[in-house]
Amino acid sequence: MDADLLSDTFVALADTMVDDFDVIDFLHMLTDRSARLLSVSAAGVVLADPRGQLQVAAASSDAAGLIELFQVQNDQGPCLECFRTGQPVTAADLARPGQRWPRFAAAAARAGFRTVEALPMRLREQVIGALNLFGAGTKPLGPAELRIGQALADVATIGLLQERNVRRAETLAEQLQAALNSRVVIEQAKGKLAERTGLDMDQAFTLLRQHARDTNERLTDVARYVIDSPTADFPPQPRG
Amino acid sequence: MTAGRPAVVWGMVAGHAAAAGRRVSVADACAVAVGCAQVTGAWVTVSGGGRPDFAVCATDPAGERLAELQLTLGEGPCHDVLASAAPVLAADLGDEDSGRRWPGFAASAGRLGAGAVFAFPLSVGAIRAGVMGLYRGSPGPLPGTQLGDALILADAATLLLVAGLRHDGDGATAAADGLLNGQSPDLALHRAEIDQATGMLTMQLGTGIAEAFARLRAYAYVNDRRLADVASDLVGRRLRLDRDPGGNDAP
Repeated sequence: MDADLLSDTFVALADTMVDDFDVIDFLHMLTDRSARLLSVSAAGVVLADPRGQLQVAAASSDAAGLIELFQVQNDQGPCLECFRTGQPVTAADLARPGQRWPRFAAAAARAGFRTVEALPMRLREQVIGALNLFGAGTKPLGPAELRIGQALADVATIGLLQERNVRRAETLAEQLQAALNSRVVIEQAKGKLAERTGLDMDQAFTLLRQHARDTNERLTDVARYVIDSPTADFPPQPRG
Repeated sequence: MTAGRPAVVWGMVAGHAAAAGRRVSVADACAVAVGCAQVTGAWVTVSGGGRPDFAVCATDPAGERLAELQLTLGEGPCHDVLASAAPVLAADLGDEDSGRRWPGFAASAGRLGAGAVFAFPLSVGAIRAGVMGLYRGSPGPLPGTQLGDALILADAATLLLVAGLRHDGDGATAAADGLLNGQSPDLALHRAEIDQATGMLTMQLGTGIAEAFARLRAYAYVNDRRLADVASDLVGRRLRLDRDPGGNDAP
């Protein structure tokens, strides 16, 4: 593992936590950095929702296969197992026959992944979510990488709780729902912007994030503005 | 974690309306909430449309007064929900925290017999349809499963309010009938593509976000397709819905 990339990652995450903090922006950056640092194809943060479903809070990629895979994880797979046990769970060599989670393995294969790992996001006794890592190769993470991965999952937990001092259980519930709602706002804005500019969803997202940085606004606030503005008045060209 | 719980709860809402022999409405979501969340009463207030917020239903007179009190005072858990777009769970209106956050409301609520108030935004991202409030005579938090049911019922109430936005009525009653017939509601409510497609439709149809969402759902229902599949086609640019003067969404 690249030591510079490692320290750079944690410095960047710490910086984001003290600036104008937006939890979805933060989690997206974390998934992006996690994928690069751990040399996997994609990463995602999934949160436990009291409604009984796993909800994606952020993912490093918008690929349709990945979205589908997150959906299947509601029924079976390493992420669900991770929630139940509070332990890291690895699903390795998913192309091999005789899989423990056949539907999950099939969806992973369709999305081009052969190894999926789930690292728990824990708050005291509760598992509030998981950091998912999706790899195209068959080799799972080694012990050193798993420790870094778990540290990243722990940072994700801290980031989620950033805005309020969690003293009571119900405050955590409020915080999680706020994060999930923020994500929906951002996805809606991506769609509107993509339609207006002809860009794809990833490009539209980049545009939103750049505008948030340029104007020193929170990502969710920029997204809300895009949705509320009748013409989605926005700089049409990405800068630089 | 029970993945099948939303379908069960929505079935209860549809069943409640069927037993009363009428079309399903937010009143049914409120009634079911009282049982599922084990509270004393429930209400829904609607917002938006440039007019003052108002209560559309309440399961008992105390609930109605709690709803109106917050609107009049401009203070309280339901009021805070509008600002934060997150639930506000006031487990003990008699404690110091509540007294500090809502000095006027906390005292009056106590006199009305409310020990705890739980407020839920009726929203899908930037679509803000209103607030659902639950109150219990005795203080105490909302346990996990009851909180889960309350969130599911808030989702149901949101969809019912949004469906009611369609002016031509066909899509709205069709979508509501979908619940009434026990047709499994699309449980993949928050798949990213559904939200992205909603945003796309605001431009394709030239409408606000709430109307775009209502028309997306109506299109899926009328064409007997899964919402997630329609959204996937829109995002993949295999489908677009254009403004049509006849009022039907032409692909």
